[in-house]
Amino acid sequence: MAHKEVIYGLYDDETDLLKAVKYANKEHLDIMDVFSPFPVHGLDPLLGLEESRLHIAGFVYGAIGTLTAFLGMTWIFTKDWPIIFGGKPYWSVPAFIPITFETTVLFASIGMVVSFYTVCGMGPGVSNPTLDDRITDDKFCIAFDGSHMSSSNAEAFFKATGASEVSSKVL
Amino acid sequence: MHREGTHTYNMPGGLRTLLFGGMIIGLICLVLSWFMGDDIHTRFWTNLLHNGVFFTGIALMATFFITVCVTAWAGWHTVFKRVWEAISMFLIPGSIIMFVFAIAVFLHMNHLYHWADTSEATMNDTIIQGKSSFLNTKVYLILGGIILAVWCFFATRLRGLSLDEDKNGTLEFTQHRSMRWYAAAFLPIAGFTSAAMIWLWIMSLDAHWYSTMFAWYSGASLFVSMICLTIIILVYLKNKGYYEEVTAEHIHDLGKFLFAFSIFWTYLWFSQYMLIWYANVGEETIYFRERLDNYPILFWGNLAINFVLPFFVLMRNDTKRKFGSVAFVAVIVLFGHWLDFFQMIKPGARHTAHEHLAHAEHHGGDAAHHLEHAAHHVGTAFEVGYSIPGFIELGTGVGFLCFFLYWTFSRLSKASLVPKNDPYLAESLHHHV
Repeated sequence: MAHKEVIYGLYDDETDLLKAVKYANKEHLDIMDVFSPFPVHGLDPLLGLEESRLHIAGFVYGAIGTLTAFLGMTWIFTKDWPIIFGGKPYWSVPAFIPITFETTVLFASIGMVVSFYTVCGMGPGVSNPTLDDRITDDKFCIAFDGSHMSSSNAEAFFKATGASEVSSKVL
Repeated sequence: MHREGTHTYNMPGGLRTLLFGGMIIGLICLVLSWFMGDDIHTRFWTNLLHNGVFFTGIALMATFFITVCVTAWAGWHTVFKRVWEAISMFLIPGSIIMFVFAIAVFLHMNHLYHWADTSEATMNDTIIQGKSSFLNTKVYLILGGIILAVWCFFATRLRGLSLDEDKNGTLEFTQHRSMRWYAAAFLPIAGFTSAAMIWLWIMSLDAHWYSTMFAWYSGASLFVSMICLTIIILVYLKNKGYYEEVTAEHIHDLGKFLFAFSIFWTYLWFSQYMLIWYANVGEETIYFRERLDNYPILFWGNLAINFVLPFFVLMRNDTKRKFGSVAFVAVIVLFGHWLDFFQMIKPGARHTAHEHLAHAEHHGGDAAHHLEHAAHHVGTAFEVGYSIPGFIELGTGVGFLCFFLYWTFSRLSKASLVPKNDPYLAESLHHHV
């Protein structure tokens, strides 16, 4: 991965962060990313983030799980190895429903986790450096790409919007 | 932020006329149903019971959900809590209807309940006699009356405190603190009494049958219906320019409740069905055998309307946030749960009525033989009003709905739409999901 310089400012409060993002939008500044210890209400539309498509993938995985379980049991209990349980017919739909439901949930959840990790480039042995450890605790961070933004401009922006600290890091 | 004149609701004359028109249609249908069908007016009594239980239950669920929110320290609903308070006030006319109905049962004016029958065959029926300490006309009237009075007391008290808070509320929040006590007391009371009432009113129509899931199942049905009506009323009021403070965020939460509790209802539907199917005990399977064999449209239609439709339509995020799509689903699902109660009530009552009539016809003869004959061959054919709702049933339903909406809107116009001085008001105004 190519190294790049990131200039970032830390804020003490999420309301300051929201104001700063609004200010950056007004000035047409290109924010690289925003980090916060918890989801900040109203941040996504300000950053112009698209709605995640993860749930569509989840639906597809779930549907695959439903079909796998239902058709699988149908085949096993009617063709492959028919057994009479409690005097019920071979093709006992009500008895299949709980397992179908559980397989749906299993496929959807595992599928979504794997998709999410793949899209985010996460996995065993992958390191994800943080700009500052405190953004997982009590600091809110706006980061600019150093190649798109001069450090003097960035500092002026952070000063105008009340950031408590300004720093830069090469990732 | 506030527009003048939208703080309090005034029912327009046009709506009033429309609702009165609907009530007259309902009344005509009720009167007509008295003269239709069999000699013991089964169609009239079942229609009255069906709509009475359905709308009284919705009012109870509104009271229940207010107390849940108060106890959970929830604030998202505060901006429109007056709608629930207004809905909960239907408990008063609903209780009167159900109490009058109970008097009719007590005086043997109808023959819906097999256990209320005084014939020799019922007296010798060991299953019914085993349940007779609960299933008897005295319990039906007296316990039923007490429970209805308790519900009305809590609903009125909670609304009274809320309205008082508007006028005399201070930063001490005395009214809200008091509401917490009433709410916490009401929750267990509502839990046990709603089950007892639904057993008396509906489950005992199939007197031999029982299901431990029935109270939950019908309760979930009523809860979904209450959410549907809340959405319909809110979207209507917003279209009329009221409730600017109610945003897509609040509708989104109501949509989530509609979605989630439709699935919860299906979960209970399935659990009740599967346990009975799996155990295959004759005493229990008769309920589903009857419905699967003789009422397939109702039985499968119920599942399609109340599960398949809301599940697929409301699964997406944006359909839960758009007023049009949520209101569309709410209208259909409300009808679906009305239909659900129809299929809970009609088959059992119809069966009992046929047995009663067959017994009366052959009184003195070989009664037991004819009873058995009646049970197996009469009263299972397709018949509008039992197998599916006819115009009379739809008209009665519309009449009750109009009465319900008239009562709700007139209670709603008695107070400010958005409450004042509620400790959670600010949270609700800035609600964001």
